[in-house]
Amino acid sequence: MLETRNLDKSFGAVHVTRNVSLKLERGERRVILGPNGAGKTTLFNQLVGELTPDSGSVHLAGEDVTALPVAKRARRGLSRSYQKNTLFDGLTVEENLGLAAAVHTGNATQLWSDSLAKPEVREIVDEVAEQVNLMPYIHAKVSEISYGVRRQLEVGVALATRPLVLLMDEPTSGVGPEMSKGFHDLLNNLPRDLTMLIIEHDMGLAFDVADTITVLNYGEVVFDGLPEAARGSKLLKDIYLGSWEDA
Amino acid sequence: MAHDLGFWTLQALNALQLSMLLFLLSIGLTVIFGLMHFVNLAHGSLYALGAYFAASLAAVGGYWMGFFLAPVAVAGVGILLYSGLIKRMRKSGPMAQVLVTFGLIFVLLDLTRIVWGDLALAIDVPAILSGRLTFLGVEYPTYRLFIIALGLAIFAALAFVLGRTQIGAMIRAGVDNDAMAACLGINVERLFFIVFCVGCALAGLSGAVAAPLLSVTPDMGLQILIPTLIVIVIGGLGSLKGAIAGSLIYGFVQTFGAVLAPQLASVLIYALLAAVLVIKPVGLFPAKG
Amino acid sequence: MFRHTALRYAVLVLLASAALFQAFTAEYFGLEILTEILILAMLVLALDIVAGFGGMVSLCHGALMGMGAYAYAILSTTAGIAPPVAMAGAVALTGAIAWAIGAICSRSHGIYFIMATLAFGQMAYSYVFEAPIFGGDDGLGGISRLDLSFVGIDLNDSRSFALFCLASLGAIYGASVLILRSGLGRSLTGVMHNEQRMRALGLTVWRVKADVFGLSGMIAGLAGVLAAQHIMYISPGLLSWTVSGEALVVVILGGLGTLVGPLVGAAAFVVLKHELSAVTTYWHLVVGALLIAVVMSRANGIFGWIEARWGARIDRRLTDATRKPEAKEVLGDA
Repeated sequence: MLETRNLDKSFGAVHVTRNVSLKLERGERRVILGPNGAGKTTLFNQLVGELTPDSGSVHLAGEDVTALPVAKRARRGLSRSYQKNTLFDGLTVEENLGLAAAVHTGNATQLWSDSLAKPEVREIVDEVAEQVNLMPYIHAKVSEISYGVRRQLEVGVALATRPLVLLMDEPTSGVGPEMSKGFHDLLNNLPRDLTMLIIEHDMGLAFDVADTITVLNYGEVVFDGLPEAARGSKLLKDIYLGSWEDA
Repeated sequence: MAHDLGFWTLQALNALQLSMLLFLLSIGLTVIFGLMHFVNLAHGSLYALGAYFAASLAAVGGYWMGFFLAPVAVAGVGILLYSGLIKRMRKSGPMAQVLVTFGLIFVLLDLTRIVWGDLALAIDVPAILSGRLTFLGVEYPTYRLFIIALGLAIFAALAFVLGRTQIGAMIRAGVDNDAMAACLGINVERLFFIVFCVGCALAGLSGAVAAPLLSVTPDMGLQILIPTLIVIVIGGLGSLKGAIAGSLIYGFVQTFGAVLAPQLASVLIYALLAAVLVIKPVGLFPAKG
Repeated sequence: MFRHTALRYAVLVLLASAALFQAFTAEYFGLEILTEILILAMLVLALDIVAGFGGMVSLCHGALMGMGAYAYAILSTTAGIAPPVAMAGAVALTGAIAWAIGAICSRSHGIYFIMATLAFGQMAYSYVFEAPIFGGDDGLGGISRLDLSFVGIDLNDSRSFALFCLASLGAIYGASVLILRSGLGRSLTGVMHNEQRMRALGLTVWRVKADVFGLSGMIAGLAGVLAAQHIMYISPGLLSWTVSGEALVVVILGGLGTLVGPLVGAAAFVVLKHELSAVTTYWHLVVGALLIAVVMSRANGIFGWIEARWGARIDRRLTDATRKPEAKEVLGDA
């Protein structure tokens, strides 16, 4: 469903992505692990087109999308959430979801009707709000909801484009451990045919969701395989040292 | 259109003279923007004030009194503006700053009208600069050559100060990253204040220098504002290199455009600005990558 | 997204009644002022759509208005096209030019966007000033008004023309509300709040900006057509950047992004200008000081200030009888 071939990127002397090749099957849930500065977010930015790789290619549903701009890739079914909330702050939860759903249903440039009044948009908004537990806050403005709920909305907005592949950059970043657990249950309840690529910091939690695990270190794939294999890997222990024994 | 070499030399000197005048004006504006992220639309009004101060002082103590004291007086006005308005606007968004300084244009415009009246003032070129000099085979007014020399001298001085001295390094650090500069123990607020005052003084100086060439009128600040903004946007905000490059581009395009394609001359510079913004939305030599 | 609150409705009703009262009672001079207000109001509506709801602070709207005026003048006098067709042509042409400007400037932000629009506005100004067909500095005269005699209205009468402008403004206000409440308008708000995210959601951001800029340009063009018909004479000064600057001042003084505020601002500005210039020639000083005071107070203009301070209380008073208190929470009511 999503594939990269020999993706490579440098910023000056810093080699941030080294020859990264990944292959995600339809419905696969893959977690990317790696210490700070391993190049996880940079990889995401290349996948969605916010950064152009120096060499290598990105393929979505069998088609080479390396040359496509961000918006075109998104319309082909690639959606992402951000590590730092990237929401529409002055608007309500419903309007946030509605904007995304409107783009997906082709109502975002309509001059003759209100996108949020369209049944197809409403249907997506209601469904996504249900999926990410936003129903109680649906009419609240982003500024009025708590940080944890904003994290849910962050994923919700990405989901409301009805993507084929959902990229999530540390969806639980900054929320407490109990809430993170709830968040992972929420991710587990998403439709099985949705392909997900998740950057996660907390190893223990990552194993809740992952079908497969990829570990990046210094921009390089150092592990690619099943969670069980990752758990026992000596390499991973070296990279993370004690930090994941606690998890 | 067959013109001899002398004609082109003359045009080149005209272009250079216009460029230098714009450079004096734009360098203050662009460094203030680069350092403080502050767009002072009233910069042109300070230039007009400089011309008025110079005219009044020249009437009392001759041209040179105006030349040396007008920048000081304008810097004084700058201090008032800084402590009264600009310091408080430092944390506001760019839009608010643009609007406040836009309001300031109106206020300063009418204040000059109240103090000096609506009639144009004239100021004489000092005796020592009043003749013509033969330069590169053409006769050219000494005063205009003086402006070119002054502009080049100020450019050299600023290049030296910004590039080679301690305070220059501090300013460059501040333009690059003011939070980091503050962490390095640089008193950024005081630096802003000094740069703002120097920028105002340069605006006053360019007004004083321009006064004998043009008639001194209340709206001269408004007329010069757009060319100045074009210079700094073409050049890229915040850099000395950008200011000099933008000034030269403006001066030459304007002057040679008027000679070669009179119908298009006025449109040409705007078309160039639009082209620059489309191809390089942050100008040719922005201070930051 | 634009919403009508009870306060906004109330102010609209007040403004409309005041305009109607003025239109039916005022003498020639009062009618001229009213018409001036209505045309300026239309221009600032156009500006508020792009600046207040799209974050595109344009300094070329004065020039767009001027283009509309010149296009109408050329089409109706030089080319001899019937006024209604010339009007439509002028509006369409201005819209097309505005669309192109919006598309080209869509990558620029902040001060660069302001400068880019300024450049295009000044380009038009210089061109009109230089090109012989536009009459240069002398401008163009002999412009005729729309002929509505077939329904028994003579627009050459000041009162009828003022009412005609009022009706046009009402229609344009309605159209503006519809634009802002459409899918396009919602996307525009999304772009203003977070352009990067809208792009990541798959929106072609430049198209949205260009489309809205084009629509706004059509409104500015219509304001220009009305201005040309009003004074029946036009000069390049109409395209000057100071006109755009003044329009921006009116939007800011009134309340950016409130649609109703700029209408209040337009009325206040024109009245203030006439009252002050009768007393002093230094009315710019007052306007400048007022602008500084309003911006430094951090209020969103006069109307924005009223709204922030008393909006909730007034709304409650006004809606208590008719609606539930949480009525403002109801979405998708458009």
